Amino acid sequence: MTVTDAAAGEGYGPDPAAPARARRPRRDGALPYVMIAPLVVFIGALAIYPTVLTVIEAFMHIDPLTGPNHFAGFGNFSAIFRDPEVRQAIVNTGWYALFGVALTVGFGTGIALLLQRPFRGRGVVLAIIVLPWALPGVVEGVIWSWIYNPTFGVLNSALKSLHLIGQYQLFIGAHQVETILLIALVQAWQITPLAALIVLAALEAIPGELYEAASVDGASWHRTIRRVTLPLIRPALAIATVEALIMSLNIFDQVYVLNANSTTASSLMSTTYFITFQDLNFGEGYALSLMATVVTVAIAIGVVKLLYRKVDYQ
Amino acid sequence: MLTKPYKHIPEETVPKKASRKAGSTTAVALAATMVVVGWGSSAFAAQNSHFGKKADVTINVAIAYPAPPAKLLDQFTAQTGIKVNYSYIQWDNLQTKIAAAAEAHTYFADVADVDWSKVGEYYATKWFVPLNKYFNVASLQSQYPQLASFVRDGQLLGMPSDVSLLVTTVNTNDLAKAGITTMPTTLMQYSADLNALKSKGVVQHPLDIPFAAAEGLSTYWYELTAAYGGQVLSPSYQPEFTSPNSPGYQAMEWMVSAYKSGLVPKGNLDLEDYPGFTQDEAHNLTASVFSDYSGDVGTIYDVPSDSTVVGDVSYIPTPGVKGIAPNLANPDGIGIPARAKNVNAAVTFIKWYDEAANQAAFAGANGPSEVVSTFPLPANVAGLSDLVNSGKVPGAAELASLAEHHSRAIFPAGAPPWYPAFSNAVYTNLHSAAAGQESVASAIKNIAAQVASLSG
Repeated sequence: MTVTDAAAGEGYGPDPAAPARARRPRRDGALPYVMIAPLVVFIGALAIYPTVLTVIEAFMHIDPLTGPNHFAGFGNFSAIFRDPEVRQAIVNTGWYALFGVALTVGFGTGIALLLQRPFRGRGVVLAIIVLPWALPGVVEGVIWSWIYNPTFGVLNSALKSLHLIGQYQLFIGAHQVETILLIALVQAWQITPLAALIVLAALEAIPGELYEAASVDGASWHRTIRRVTLPLIRPALAIATVEALIMSLNIFDQVYVLNANSTTASSLMSTTYFITFQDLNFGEGYALSLMATVVTVAIAIGVVKLLYRKVDYQ
Repeated sequence: MLTKPYKHIPEETVPKKASRKAGSTTAVALAATMVVVGWGSSAFAAQNSHFGKKADVTINVAIAYPAPPAKLLDQFTAQTGIKVNYSYIQWDNLQTKIAAAAEAHTYFADVADVDWSKVGEYYATKWFVPLNKYFNVASLQSQYPQLASFVRDGQLLGMPSDVSLLVTTVNTNDLAKAGITTMPTTLMQYSADLNALKSKGVVQHPLDIPFAAAEGLSTYWYELTAAYGGQVLSPSYQPEFTSPNSPGYQAMEWMVSAYKSGLVPKGNLDLEDYPGFTQDEAHNLTASVFSDYSGDVGTIYDVPSDSTVVGDVSYIPTPGVKGIAPNLANPDGIGIPARAKNVNAAVTFIKWYDEAANQAAFAGANGPSEVVSTFPLPANVAGLSDLVNSGKVPGAAELASLAEHHSRAIFPAGAPPWYPAFSNAVYTNLHSAAAGQESVASAIKNIAAQVASLSG
């Protein structure tokens, strides 16, 4: 087994030992193009076209209240960085990313390790675990608003029953970091199943002989996890981390439901929404969207470079 | 009064070529466009179906109220030949769709919601067609108590589609338990009664204020400011709340103090207006809402499946510092987006929607089968009269009286174009003050700074 840099690119591709087969060029005509045309149209219309427009219009003054539209250079970008609400949202989003990645990857890996060994009812457990992933973010926000409710919420009831609190507490809105952590937990609840499935797939690809060898060598459970399992699931952890990072940097639904428009826990996306559709400052909204996209892509690439290593079992 | 059925007005020519988009399009707008493509195709199909009794023209209506009863809509189609594709869209989502479509210069609907708070914005952006050509503003003023909320510089941007007031409600059963038999008529008495309810243990947190950073918190402050005898902005949109002796300043102090002293449930920091009514007031976790919405007694508190206080909650004249306070108007209206395809048919629909008989029916005059859920009160005097005479809606007479005699526009000159940003400053700062993240003085200063920035 080897763990190599992604750039090395070894271990895949045609087997050179396989007998060469004479191939006759096929003439499919337009069929391949017809087959991919719907996808090209779909991606072009819903991804590429809006992205190009966003890039262009991020540099335009577009505000129907103060029109007319005109080229603004970097004016929108300097305006958003001067806006204290945007600065607050950037800090908050950093917290969301930190909590979101830690909770999602942590819980996801833990769940995957628990599900690694076959047991009776494993399929049912898997199906139940995936359920939160199927729920819309708004629905989850509503569910958790009842859980966190300071008057009759389940969390307060449980903590009081356990004598961990004397009286019911206000969880959301009182303190910035606590509020962000609790909202990030709601999103982690939603996206952890995906992380768990990604890691579980990687775990199931690890050959059993490696664990047998580790056992023969007298490795403890902790040592086996640290020296065998984690290095081998590193690509999956990288993907799960990037997925959690992207979702956390773009958190909106849960913030909107649980925090309304309070700056206490506002996110970059909720702030973008309010600047664009409430203040009708579309130019700044585009600029903020573009900035969020660039930052998300840059961080995601950094994480992949840092974490991703190709695993080859040959 | 608009009581006669309207004859079908010939359809105006719809341009076949979509005009080139002049400036901006967003991903959201694209999605909105796709929705409209679906609508457009059905409209096209309807316009080309001239056999049988099919409609001559189809209009798309997008309003933040559930659809009128199918029976009434069918009658409208039979009378006018206009088929209605009705979309009930939640208020916030609807505003986003209107803005996205307008900014993308895309057709969205033929009739859409015009909230009182959006009138200044639509005046500035020209996103809605002025209706003066179709309605005589001068002659309607005596008929529509809240028409002023939809007029800006003489332009009628929407027709009132209901009467909605900020009113005070109290749980009379709780007051009786606390030994209070006379309803408060001043703010001082009201405060004393709330403290009595709390100190006597009748209700631990007797007052509902929705402190979530959302629009409902802003309007609560406006109403309380009116009760203190003032208004938040002058007719030229300058702040009138910066002095500690001003009504707006005192109102904010009263609200924050009520929260910190425990008159308001702790959880209300994250509670918006309607959840406050349905969770707190309807389940007797609170005993009064100072700035409630007209119609909530019939549609929330007296609904047995949703409430444990059926028959206990009543409207009272809103107590002010010097006696009865004005009830600020927060009505909904309907108007015609600038890109509407079927303007004449849209006008016909608006007139039908505002007919006194229909308005009274939507509010419950004909019983539950014709009620439009959450519809507060008829927009016009005749509709109010029909509703009161039906005797089927609790509190209707009191509300009609308040609407006719105590109703006042929040901004007499119409909402400023930058109202949403102003309201945002109000509710975020008021929320922060209640959460203890800033003082009332700081909140007031920040809101005033925002007004200066917006109006400058």
